[in-house]
Order: sequence, then C-alpha cells, then structure tokens
Amino acid sequence: MLDADIEVDRRNFTVRAALRVAPGERLALFGPSGAGKTTVLETIAGLVPPRRARIELAGRLLTAAGTPGIRRVAVPPWQRRVGLLRQEPGLFPHLTVRDNLRYSRRAASDLELTEVAAALGIGDLLSAHPARLSGGQAHRVALGRLLLARCEALLLDEPYTGLDAGLRRTLTELVVRLVADRAVPAILVAHELDQAQAFAGTLMVLDQGAVLQAGTPDEVVLRPASQRVARLVGYGAFVPVSGGLTAGVHPERVVRGDHPDRGIVLTGLVADVLPAGALWQARLDVSGTTVTARLAEPEPAGTKLTVTALDPPLFGSEGTLA
Amino acid sequence: MAASPVPVPAATVRPGPGALRHVSGAIGLGGALVIWLALLGPVIALITHLSWSAIRAALSAPGALDPLVVSLQAGAVTLGVLMLLGTPLAWALARGTLPFPRLWEAGVLACLLLPPLVIGLLLVFMVGPYTIIGQWLAGLHLSATNTFLALVIAEVYESAPYYVLGAQAAFAGVDYRLEQQAALLGDPPLRVLRRVSMPMAAPGLAMALAVAWARAMGAFGAVVIVAYHPTGLPLQIWTTLQETGLPSALPFALVLLVVALPLPLAAYAWSARARRRHRG
Repeated sequence: MLDADIEVDRRNFTVRAALRVAPGERLALFGPSGAGKTTVLETIAGLVPPRRARIELAGRLLTAAGTPGIRRVAVPPWQRRVGLLRQEPGLFPHLTVRDNLRYSRRAASDLELTEVAAALGIGDLLSAHPARLSGGQAHRVALGRLLLARCEALLLDEPYTGLDAGLRRTLTELVVRLVADRAVPAILVAHELDQAQAFAGTLMVLDQGAVLQAGTPDEVVLRPASQRVARLVGYGAFVPVSGGLTAGVHPERVVRGDHPDRGIVLTGLVADVLPAGALWQARLDVSGTTVTARLAEPEPAGTKLTVTALDPPLFGSEGTLA
Repeated sequence: MAASPVPVPAATVRPGPGALRHVSGAIGLGGALVIWLALLGPVIALITHLSWSAIRAALSAPGALDPLVVSLQAGAVTLGVLMLLGTPLAWALARGTLPFPRLWEAGVLACLLLPPLVIGLLLVFMVGPYTIIGQWLAGLHLSATNTFLALVIAEVYESAPYYVLGAQAAFAGVDYRLEQQAALLGDPPLRVLRRVSMPMAAPGLAMALAVAWARAMGAFGAVVIVAYHPTGLPLQIWTTLQETGLPSALPFALVLLVVALPLPLAAYAWSARARRRHRG
C-alpha cells in the first residue's frame, strides 16, 4: 500500500494531495500542465522536500515532515525502492541495455534478466547502447530496469508523451499487466484524458495544486464534481436549463436529433464545421451560447440543427454538481 | 495622355542558392585551410629546420635528457594534484552546491587571466622563504623556491584553471536527471558519482586533463621566476637559446613537442570515440 498525504510549496501555490494506492492498483493524476502533478510524484520519490508530509510504502515510513510533535523522517531516494519513469527514459548512455537493466541489481540472474527482456520484447537488444534504440524500445528498457530493481511502487510521469498512439497503447497495456502481476501500486501522471483513462482504475483531478475530484474514470467524466473539472475533462459548453441549473455539454456526448428521453435537446444554427479526425466538429449557436458537437457527417454552416446532449451533468449556481 | 510603360529591368543573372552555397563553402574551406596552416606553421618550421645529426648531437650530450625527466615527473605530480583537488571543485561548481558560486569561479578565472610571469612574481610573495607559508614549509624542511616543489606549484598554478573550467563543463554536461535516476535505483551519492557522473563526464575530463598536461609541460612564465632549478624542459630550451643560440635549442623544442603531444592526442581520440558511442 502506498499512502501519501503531502503539502509542497511551489512558486505560485501549494500542492496538497492525499492518496492511497493498494498493491496492484493504478491511480492517474490528471490535470493541466503546471498543476503540480509531477511535484506529487517527486515528493513521493524523495526528490522534492515537502513542507508537510506523511508517506508510507508497504509498511515503511518514507517521509514524516512538518507535523509538530512527530519526529522528522526523510528516507533518502536510494533507500525508498520507488521506481520513477519519466518522458525521457533516462537510460545511462555509457552502458549497454544489459548493464542498464542490471543497474540496481547486479546480482540479478541471467534467467531473470532474460525473462524480463522477453516479456518486454527487448531480448535481442541486450548488447546495444541506448543511443541505438528507438523511443519505444528505450521505454521498454527503462521499464525493465525498474522491474529488475524490484521497486515497491511505480511512478510514471507522462512517460509516453511524444510516442505514437499505437505504441502508447501497447506500452500502457504492458504496464497495466505488469502492475497486476507484480502487485505494486502505480501512479501515472497525465495531462491527456484518454491516457489517464486507459491506465487508471482511479482518476484524481489536480489543478493549481488542489485535488478537485477523485473517482473512477467514468464518474469523473460523466459526473464531474464542478464546472472546473468538467472543463478539464473536455466539457466545452454550459447551457442554462430549468430550475436555475446549468447543463454541461461534452462535444463527444452529443447525438444528432431530438431524443428528450436520452438528455437535453438543443437547437441552434451551425456557425462553422471543421474536420476533427474521422468526425466533424460543428459549432452551434444555441440562444447565444456556443455549443460544440462532434458529428459523423458535416453540416453546412447556417443550417438549423437539433442535437441531444446525452445525460449531461447539471451544475448549481455555485458551479458544483447538482 | 498615354501612360508611360513601366520599364522592365533586364533580367540580371544571379547565382542561385545552390551556386552561392558552393562559393561560400569553398571560401569557408579555404579560410579554414589557411588558419590550420598558420596554426601549424611553427611546427612545420621546427621540423624543416632540424637535422638528424643536430638532434643526435644535442640529445647525446651528458645530462641532456635530465630536464625531460624533471618535466615528466613534475607534470605527473601536477596532474595528480589537479585530479585530487580540481575534480571536486569542478563538480561543486557545475552542480552549484557552493555558496556564492560566482566568487569561486572568479578565483579560477583570475588564475587564468593573470599572465604566468605575474603569477610567478606573486608566488614569490606567497610561498617565498620570508612568507608565512615559506616559513611553515621550512619547518617541514621544504622550500618553494628553486625546488621540485616550487616547479610543481608553478605548474599547478599555470594549468589548474584549464583543468577546472574544462572539468566543470564536463560535469555540467551530465544530465542531473540521470543522477536522480541512479539514486532512485538504489545508489547513494558517491556511488552515483562513480557509476554515472564520472563515466559520463569522462570524455570531457580526459580532454581537460590533456590540456592541463600540455600547459604544465610548457609552463615557463611562473617557472622561470620560482623554479629555475631543477631545470625542466622549457627552461632548458630557454637557457640553451641564451647560451648557444637558436639551432641548438631546437632539438629540445622537438623533445617538448613529442613528450607533450601524445597524451592530448590520445585523450582526444578516446573522448571522441566515447562521445560517438553515447550519442550513437
């Protein structure tokens, strides 16, 4: 079990987060760039000194700081047994793949090394130097190195940014499987929702250092706790509905036509249409509010269009979920 | 009134971008060649003005090779001192762990900016027999005037800034995130230094050391003031020149070149290979 309750001062705000991740569980910290997500990971890894914190991993107290009357504990990074994987895989360029894999446990048996290498599909790269590896291969080696190090927690800091979508999916599936096999708690930091969703059992939304919501990915996406969370997970418009409430409209949760049983029906004029992947993104002017909708077919600008926002979250006047 | 037609300029022939690239490339190559020949000029002049018989005669004289031995010994001790004291300073400068880092850098730079002759004069005031350090050394039956120790001190002062600044750049080139990664993989700081920082900085450190070696072997300005004896190679060249003229000094210049050059060349070749491997 990884149990962390931290407060870290940053230049403009204080990062406050409390989280518990059981062995084999996966938590994603999701939020915009600069929200303090990486700070949370680095504090757990012991790279950033907290103002106040209590961090426990597998029954070991790693950090205790800033609580009056409690003795200060700061286990140094090299004794934490916490693995951190960043966007740059951080392989040692002067060592071969084999020596990189063996870095933390030189006594690791050849059998173990071969097994990990085979599981990660890097068995034929053992003699290569990191400079010769592709981005995906380097990430596999970095992951293998953490596995051989027998880390008791896995921290992933936007590790797959810059890799293509297919490779990202493969690596995410690999990590999910390994986390389950090894029964270690894992935390992923992501600023793209689909990456966080693909990885996590629990999603924690962080903004300006504060945790805005934590729950299953479905809960967070379908029932965001506030308009701020709704915006972060992609809700683009908020239209007034009866009873002084506001409905959040997500561009990807809109269907063409009048389906009052499935959500709220909106009618407006198409302002413009732009291609968005295999779909078209139309902007509708609904009584002065611009609503964005992803449609399967393009609609000429100026046409009147009726759409249904599926089961939208409703927010009260305070901006919190009604 | 008919509008006068706009005059159309005759098509001028302009070199296309490809031709320009060729011309500028040729000029660049020519310029580089001239600079290279100019830099190598003294070496070419040395080789063309030497004969085998002159070299044999000069080097076979009794005691002719003693200064070479002195220079090699003093150079080796100097490198040892630089590695022992200069490496930690360079590391601390690169990692910014010292308070008032600019002040420390200024100290190293001052040593670089002072002409060696001035360093020699100032060393007399610092470690001469009538100074506090001089008297302390005398208590240990040592002297920093006209001794091997004086030669090493002068060489250290002349070469230290080259090593420290070079080593600082080498350490600064090591990504601190790799050091963090090594720590997270279980290595305490000293082991991170040994297994990651040092090997990664090694190509740069080797180059810095090679430059320092060349400076130490050729050290003259400070040496001539504080360490006239025992005579090292540069002083031997100087005294031969003074006593018997240019032709008899040239063979010793060749010896200096032959002795000072292999280490920098080897370091250059090795560090270029290591860098290629790191970068793929």
